[in-house]
Amino acid sequence: MTKGTEPVEGMDYFMQLEYHELLCPVVRRYAEALRAGKLIGHRCPKCGLVYAPPRGYCPIDVIETTDADEVQLADRGVVTNYTVVTPVQYYGQEETEPFAKVSIQLDDPGGALSLQDVLEVPVDQVRVGMRVEAVWAPPKERDTGEIGNRSFGSAAGAIRGWRPTGEPDLPADQIMQAAF
Amino acid sequence: MADEIPTTTHTIEFPYTRTLGPVFSAFLTGMRDGRILGIASRDGKILCPPTEWDPWTGDALEPTLTEVGPGGTVETWAWVETPTRKHPLHHPFAFALIKLDGADTALLHAVDAGTINAMETGMRVTPRWKDERIGHITDVEAFVPEALGA
Repeated sequence: MTKGTEPVEGMDYFMQLEYHELLCPVVRRYAEALRAGKLIGHRCPKCGLVYAPPRGYCPIDVIETTDADEVQLADRGVVTNYTVVTPVQYYGQEETEPFAKVSIQLDDPGGALSLQDVLEVPVDQVRVGMRVEAVWAPPKERDTGEIGNRSFGSAAGAIRGWRPTGEPDLPADQIMQAAF
Repeated sequence: MADEIPTTTHTIEFPYTRTLGPVFSAFLTGMRDGRILGIASRDGKILCPPTEWDPWTGDALEPTLTEVGPGGTVETWAWVETPTRKHPLHHPFAFALIKLDGADTALLHAVDAGTINAMETGMRVTPRWKDERIGHITDVEAFVPEALGA
């Protein structure tokens, strides 16, 4: 069985580079916590800023943070900004319809996650100030295989997305000062 | 180890299609149709794989190809004991320069001989074609010792 009878005029090339990267301890601990249904972060002992996920350092104070600085984070928060992506059908693109990626300022003790998915809300109704809560994947379906050393902010594979809590929106001026 | 996640895997992919031009188009159309083609140089030598230019003068060659092989002779070879997943075969094999019958130059391809002891410079080989061919050099899965047949 051969393909076609027309002259062969093109040749498909498929360049692929696959590499494996050791996860640093702080990322491994973060991924383990996600699989256990917990979001964790580090609170800088000097400036008090909460990093989610933990980085193992505070870039502002230039000091190391350790397990001693670990805090469990809330899985509820407020949308502080968002981007609507209209997908172009390049190779590998799985999305076909416009979708939103949002940043979420988490409730106390704080921390912020970026590039999160919103569930149960039409794209044109995503807005700053919307109160949301995490929708966790069932424990057996949590897969943190995509979390790498540079995937700051990702909870992919453990949290499916964030849905509205139904609480009133937070006025935008209350979150203007919330910096990532 | 089952509960641990010591590594993460990254995959970068870049697929594209290259246009072939008259010579490689004819060569790979031949592969799709189960025929191996060579091209005549200005002085009448048959080049397989075909080139677009005469390797001795640089002149453009007429894209009129002629069939060679299918049998040929191994001119030199290297044994691959541990193939990678991108190699044409997933068990030990040889890469060989094969001068096909009627050709004056040699084609690089895989020889599926089973063991290194079955490999010999000067040995006769014949192509083992894939059932489904798309117009690619890998339409010949590998060459095999002529004694074994295709």
